[in-house]
Amino acid sequence: MMAYAYIGHEAIDKSALEKRVVTVEDGAVCTFVGNVRRHSRGREVAYLEYNAYLPIASRTLQEIADEAEARWQVKLAVQHKIGRVELGEASVVIVVASVHRAEAFDACRFCIDTLKEKVPIWKREVCPDGAFWIEGEEALPASKAD
Amino acid sequence: MDHDSGPSTLSSQEDEGSGSTRLIGAHMPTAGGLKNSLTAGLEIGCTAVQLFTGNPRQWSHPSLTDDEIREFRATHEQTGIPFLVAHDSYLINLAAPAADVLERSRSAFRGELERAHALGIPWVVTHMGSHLDQGEEEAVKRLITSLKEILEETEAEGCTAGVALETTAGQGTGLGWSFNQLGDILKGVGDNPRLGVCMDTCHVFAAGYDIRTPEAYRETIQKFDDQVGIRYLRVIHTNDSKKGLGSRVDRHEHIGMGEIGMEAFSLLLNDSRLLHIPVVAETPDAQTMHRVNVARLRRLAASGAYGIVVTAQLFGHYSDLFPGGTVDVLLPKGAVVNDLAVALTDLNPALSDLASHCRFAIADDLVDGTTALREGCTVAALPPSSGG
Ligand SMILES: [Zn+2]
Ligand SMILES: [Zn+2]
Repeated sequence: MMAYAYIGHEAIDKSALEKRVVTVEDGAVCTFVGNVRRHSRGREVAYLEYNAYLPIASRTLQEIADEAEARWQVKLAVQHKIGRVELGEASVVIVVASVHRAEAFDACRFCIDTLKEKVPIWKREVCPDGAFWIEGEEALPASKAD
Repeated sequence: MDHDSGPSTLSSQEDEGSGSTRLIGAHMPTAGGLKNSLTAGLEIGCTAVQLFTGNPRQWSHPSLTDDEIREFRATHEQTGIPFLVAHDSYLINLAAPAADVLERSRSAFRGELERAHALGIPWVVTHMGSHLDQGEEEAVKRLITSLKEILEETEAEGCTAGVALETTAGQGTGLGWSFNQLGDILKGVGDNPRLGVCMDTCHVFAAGYDIRTPEAYRETIQKFDDQVGIRYLRVIHTNDSKKGLGSRVDRHEHIGMGEIGMEAFSLLLNDSRLLHIPVVAETPDAQTMHRVNVARLRRLAASGAYGIVVTAQLFGHYSDLFPGGTVDVLLPKGAVVNDLAVALTDLNPALSDLASHCRFAIADDLVDGTTALREGCTVAALPPSSGG
């Protein structure tokens, strides 16, 4: 079975995502929600803007999700929002359903860690006194304001 | 035109696609606000605009306000003009013998770079100053010291705008009219992605380098490459000359209407090594004639056997460097991804770390530097990501 992986502008509906994978066979459901927080490495954030290079981002996220399903024998659904994401809103949600909890935790962690490393999505932090592009560990001042 | 073949023949089947990708424009007036240079430039078909960011005949400028910067950047984005370049004040003499003038010039030129950086203008063209009969050798040394210091100081402040040294006509005691001297100055300053050259056809011709026939053009460009280096070229000022070869007098004329003549511009615009280099006219009668000169340059550019148009799509902070985060680049046939990276760095020194910082992709494939580029393809440059 192919995992569900989606990158788009829509707000993420966590329960809809859970419905995609959870059945009565599953004793464990592990849901990871990545939320936009107010403070980022000393900067106060007003909101975030994500963009992606979709031709590779969509394919890579699908590959990561499929690999997690195959390696831990779980069912997985992952969705990443792009565009403007407000404080307290989810930018990414991963749902993993499995018979036992160990596999669900491991697959979920693998999915978020690998996503952060490999999927070409970039975050722009919009702060009250300017915006920053985040590239890996670096925060570079954005020269275009909003 | 007295020879039978070659790129100077205007074809009726112009390659519109490539012709409109060429970065061609003019020095546009800024009366009523800096941003007016962009709207007026767009109106007459410029894909490259040169402007003064201050009054070129005054030492001090009121510093740009945040509103001015914001408005200029917003207009830049709206007009979508891919290439901008600033020209510095006429008063600046980075080789000045008098200590007070030298210090004033250095501080004014730092200001030029800072303003360009704030406005998102990647290059500032400057003349190389004058020795004023106080010793040419010493003047060259002062110029080199000025450039080194200014590049260092502004780099420390995070300024990415670069300096393009303009070839001069050799009028009066002006430095930098001989290719050899310009080459020495570049060597003296040392390699720096923020250091480049602007070639002005009128100045080169007035300085004694002929470009009027294919043979003369070839010889002059060869000399330029040997003594200066084509790899340093960032902008070409396409001006015809009112004065003759070797006159050492700087008087610009409309394209094709002066002593240089049309053929030289056709040769220049169809030189496969220079396809991605922006060309800017600094010809007289801006209000009425810039439109004519820009259209003429574009027709000449469209007449040749062309290269390929490749779109670069930039992500992360690089996407701020061009309107819409993309720029179309004209490259010779057979160009590879690395050639695109070099051409992009020529357009903006802030892209000099692009190749070391990014992976490249065409459609959904990651590609390496040696991948061949095809007409119409889009190459995405992907810096380290930050999803999640
Ligand atoms: Zn010039
Ligand atoms: Zn001139």
